[in-house]
Amino acid sequence: MGISLTNLTKTFGDSTVVDDLSLEIADGEFVVFLGPSGCGKTTTLRMIAGLEQPAAGDIRIDGERVNEVPPQRRDIAMVFQSYALYPHLTVADNIAYPLRVRKLAAAEIQKQVSQTAALLEIESLLMRRPRDLSGGERQRVALARAIVRHPRAFLMDEPLSNLDAKLRLQMRGELKRLQQTLETTTVYVTHDQAEAMTLGNRVAVMNRGKLQQFDTPLEIYNRPTNRFVAEFVGSPGMNFIEGHIDSSPPAFVRDGLKLVLTEDLLNQSGGQVSCTLGIRPESVRVSNMQTDHWMAATVYVTELMGNETFVILDMQSQRIIARTPGDFRAETGSAVWVDFDLTKAHLFDRDTGLRL
Amino acid sequence: MNPIRTILKYIVSGLALVVALAPVYWMLTISFKHEVDQFAVPPKWFSFSPTLEHYADAFLGRSFGQYLVNSLVVAVGSTACALALGTLAAYALARFRLPRKLDRKLALWILSTRMMPAIVTAVPLFLIMRDLRLVNTRLSLVIVYTAFNLPFVVWMMRGFFAEVPRDLEEAAMVDGDSRLGAFCRIVLPLVTPGLAATAVFCLIVSWNEFLFALVLTQTDDAMTLPVGIAGRVTQYGIKWGAMSAAGVVAMVPILAFALAVQRYLVRGLSLGAVKG
Repeated sequence: MGISLTNLTKTFGDSTVVDDLSLEIADGEFVVFLGPSGCGKTTTLRMIAGLEQPAAGDIRIDGERVNEVPPQRRDIAMVFQSYALYPHLTVADNIAYPLRVRKLAAAEIQKQVSQTAALLEIESLLMRRPRDLSGGERQRVALARAIVRHPRAFLMDEPLSNLDAKLRLQMRGELKRLQQTLETTTVYVTHDQAEAMTLGNRVAVMNRGKLQQFDTPLEIYNRPTNRFVAEFVGSPGMNFIEGHIDSSPPAFVRDGLKLVLTEDLLNQSGGQVSCTLGIRPESVRVSNMQTDHWMAATVYVTELMGNETFVILDMQSQRIIARTPGDFRAETGSAVWVDFDLTKAHLFDRDTGLRL
Repeated sequence: MNPIRTILKYIVSGLALVVALAPVYWMLTISFKHEVDQFAVPPKWFSFSPTLEHYADAFLGRSFGQYLVNSLVVAVGSTACALALGTLAAYALARFRLPRKLDRKLALWILSTRMMPAIVTAVPLFLIMRDLRLVNTRLSLVIVYTAFNLPFVVWMMRGFFAEVPRDLEEAAMVDGDSRLGAFCRIVLPLVTPGLAATAVFCLIVSWNEFLFALVLTQTDDAMTLPVGIAGRVTQYGIKWGAMSAAGVVAMVPILAFALAVQRYLVRGLSLGAVKG
């Protein structure tokens, strides 16, 4: 059960948009395709839906190979980024459309529509037309239309990206609850890493058509396979310092910067001399007072978020972002002292970007 | 806005209206005037006693009734055919990509047939119709008018179809509908203003067409109104009264249709965009 993609490839003219993608989605799982624009995630989704034909590779839904099956018969439902609500039909007719096309009895259609509308709390909107609804309401109608026929899988193409920030957060939680209630396999496409982290059971990170990493959100955050994944996930993004490793004493060196490496990191580096050090902002500690072994830095600018403060520092010609508690204050241009928690640091190969 | 400009606007528009409508009004009055009044000097704009003798003459005494029926059959028939064929072609051209930009070239080629002066085909068409034994039949006119209206229908409807977001048909197909079903249930209702506008245009063109009706019809059985009315000009005299009566009646169906269809032309503007 579930969806399985094997060596999936798609080309448009000369460019390869999806390159040899293989992954298995378990039944009932919520999988997020995450990546920047143009990475091939929407194209992959459309291939699963049947709206695009793969150039090579297989798509299997519930074990059945569906490459030649048209979208009508794949028993999957899709929520489009633009919602694609039928403008000339009422909300009730929009939701009923998939059932009408299957020629269900009118009474049965009526029942299903009411139940689905109740589930999404849109009963009061049933007689309205899409043009009279707000963004959030339209999104619920699009969801209702997808849910009403209990398909094998949901495919969602950035459904939250047209909503304002607050509504997006609210709908994120509701979507997750909904999926847990319905237990339907869901494939969700987004470029927002926060959505991916919070919604997915597993996240597939893609870049330029290639799968970078397919793992649980926590694993992707704590053990990124390469620099791209490390950089893409997490906000503010990971800090990267390029340098090389001295063997004695074992330290990571870059210009005037010298960091004594932990044993773990040293083992990881496997003798590699030039590499890149990655450290997340929350693992960078900042203090206004000089402390032993902490490095000197100058404040470039601070961003007060209320619950925390982002401090952007200049350190030995490197720009580093640090996350500090909300009450931390420092003037632009003032001197501060910085320490790296190297137990949370990563080393990346300079050329391939792979994590060592 | 400057009040003087507003007044000027109204004066100029008023004048334009008068210039455009004066001949129509004149034709209207001629059809109701006794022959004596028709040529009175100074012209009797309003003060005459009306008569229906010309209408009786045209429709009961002569064959204008038949011409009217022929015109209706031919115009409606060719419009329906052109719309049916052209709309499907336009949808295909709007939605499907062909290799080597063939779809663009095809669209241009279809439109280019409209750029040719129609008179060039008058004789060849007559010969074809003669061989098909279709001369002097309404069918021949329906065929010819459909051929002339098709490029326009394709070009117009293609533009309207291009405006409908692909998302909607894709959503319909994922929901379980066939492509044709999605076309009929989702796309067509959204282009009704386009259909209405195109239909009006095709009807007007077919209704007013003179050259091919003249070439391809010979007797009252198949003659359409334009040919019939023009035929009142003979070497024995010009029957202005009957001609005007027929002219007035000829205007009515097109006006009525345009009025009926007007609300569809407006409806499309208020449907709004797909997303918020």
